[in-house]
Amino acid sequence: MEANDPKIGDLISELPEDLRGSAEEKAGLERMLDALTHRPAPTGRVLRMWCLGSLQAKLAAAYGLAWLRGSFTGTERKAQLKNEAHYRGALRTLAGMGYMRGAMTKLGQVMSSYPQVTPKQYVETLRALHFEAPPMHFSLLREYLRGELGADPEDVFAEFDRKALAAASLGQVHRARLKTGEDVVVKVQYPGIAKTIHGDFANLRLLLAPMRLMRDWDATMAQLEEIERVLTLETDYAAELANAEEVRSELSGLEDVIVPRMYPEHSTPHVLTMEHLPGVHVQDFMRSRPAQSLRNRHAAQIFRATSRLFHSGRMLAADPNPGNYLFLPDGRLGLIDFGCLRRLDPDEQETVNLGYTNPLDSEQAASVLLQRCHLLSETEMADSERLRILREVHAWYWQPLTIDGEFDFSDPEHLRRGFESSWSILRRRYHKAMPVLTWMNRTFCGTRAMAYLLQAKVNLAQIDREELERA
Amino acid sequence: MRITPKAKQETRARILDAGSRLFGELGFGATSTRDLAGEAGIAAGTLFNYFATKEALAMTLVVEALERGLETFEARRKGADSLSEELFSYVATGLRELEPYRTFLPEVFETALSPFRPSDASRLGGRVRHEHLEMVKGILAKRGSSGPHTIASLQLYWTLYVGVLAFWTRDESAHQEETWAVLDQSLGLFVGSIPSEGGTDHGS
Repeated sequence: MEANDPKIGDLISELPEDLRGSAEEKAGLERMLDALTHRPAPTGRVLRMWCLGSLQAKLAAAYGLAWLRGSFTGTERKAQLKNEAHYRGALRTLAGMGYMRGAMTKLGQVMSSYPQVTPKQYVETLRALHFEAPPMHFSLLREYLRGELGADPEDVFAEFDRKALAAASLGQVHRARLKTGEDVVVKVQYPGIAKTIHGDFANLRLLLAPMRLMRDWDATMAQLEEIERVLTLETDYAAELANAEEVRSELSGLEDVIVPRMYPEHSTPHVLTMEHLPGVHVQDFMRSRPAQSLRNRHAAQIFRATSRLFHSGRMLAADPNPGNYLFLPDGRLGLIDFGCLRRLDPDEQETVNLGYTNPLDSEQAASVLLQRCHLLSETEMADSERLRILREVHAWYWQPLTIDGEFDFSDPEHLRRGFESSWSILRRRYHKAMPVLTWMNRTFCGTRAMAYLLQAKVNLAQIDREELERA
Repeated sequence: MRITPKAKQETRARILDAGSRLFGELGFGATSTRDLAGEAGIAAGTLFNYFATKEALAMTLVVEALERGLETFEARRKGADSLSEELFSYVATGLRELEPYRTFLPEVFETALSPFRPSDASRLGGRVRHEHLEMVKGILAKRGSSGPHTIASLQLYWTLYVGVLAFWTRDESAHQEETWAVLDQSLGLFVGSIPSEGGTDHGS
């Protein structure tokens, strides 16, 4: 274990107050995580990546536990204790999964975009998951690439950097130069990860089965299914390449937003080669103390690209995590990950656009909007508490879209309110909705989280209006 | 008629080539020495002047493939590699050269690399084991990892290596990608078992 790794106690103390529990519960939780994370130190790169040895995986485990615990608040103490045993078993299973690093890291990533994660320090700590993880060594990579591309990377490319530029949940990225001279980055998926994801999640569901009678079982399973779906989608680099081409074409009219060129002849379903963009991620960008105007500009680019894709392209780039944006020295914004693209059919587009014609301040219009979006039955429509909470979420979404003028996204209260109201939906099992809403939630929570990280002020209403009219 | 060393060499190469082809096409068990001789264009009896058994022929293919792998490994060797990466590279370069024989190797290894079934081919199996472990010992020694622990460690290494070979011969994943994961994890276990390396070789 690295000397600067956080202690389990530190992680637990970082959990939200309501998830931390009593001193006794905290001690139990501490013992459990401590036992899990003090297994013999893994040695090989792949082994280490796939075990609970890394900071990322430990954090994800802590969040995984918090998530599971959070699903059962309000249950009896006895039942909670019983569930602790299941949490422990579930985490042990996760720890034993061959490829758990991918799944766990992704779990952490998804959670950082999900409403459970409210405190600022969570968002900031979890950002590391997006582009900081230990890579596989070059000898392993070489054999894998040889299988994928038909020859050693040294033969396929004019230059290939043995050292990974970045590593994340499902793959790692290397810089290279094509024989035709272009600077590229090569994203390589960890071997066999796609195949294992389904099995890993099936095992996890089986292990969690004793908890099926608990009240939030459906919500828990829905969350797991969503995470599995996202993971599976993101393992298909051939689909990502096609997505990238589509997004590139859709955004071609935006001069200050750049989507890297893809190189299909150097790509496979597990290897993706694309143009190298000379940019930095948000943390490095913010470290350079950029002017407010530049931060605003970049946030506006993010919103503009998202709105253009949504209104004109009828698609959601539903993984707007900080690792997927690059800030270029010339002021342009680079978009670099398209594994998670959701297309909207005309019915979905019409329903989600109801908000433009059915403002929430009208009772009747709001009812129509909520009923259509959340597929509410008559009985459910009579549940005033449910309507109140759903309305809160929609109000949060529409707030910056209806204020004419700059909206201050650096206000942590806005982000917190969005997360908290979405979290209320999950806690109360009001999550029934058109499936596309989950993706919208991820997209819009994610882009606003980016604007928050940029501490930006943007006239989102104007951008959205222009893009809606353009479409 | 006197056979020149060159002609002998050519005949030997023809027999090895015939073995490589027929074992792959017909399977090791279904290929007879008569088939091999016919394919190589020699009399059935002549074959035994070169290889005592078809197992010996098959293991010669293995030995020569591993020698080619070793050359590649030596050419690629970089001082900065971690122990597990260096071992990974050593095994992987050998597997590359064995790739054309993958379909028939399970039957061959079952005999030649089994510690329970001594046979004529096992002498070549013993040679493979000895040379492989000498190389591993050399890699360890270069890093100062030698001493009384080595015997147990090498036994563990060999057990893991043979396990990886067995997995690889039956690996149906695309491009045998799962073998690379199994190999990397196996080497992680091995490196972790060495007192002077345990807990320090994180492959960074």
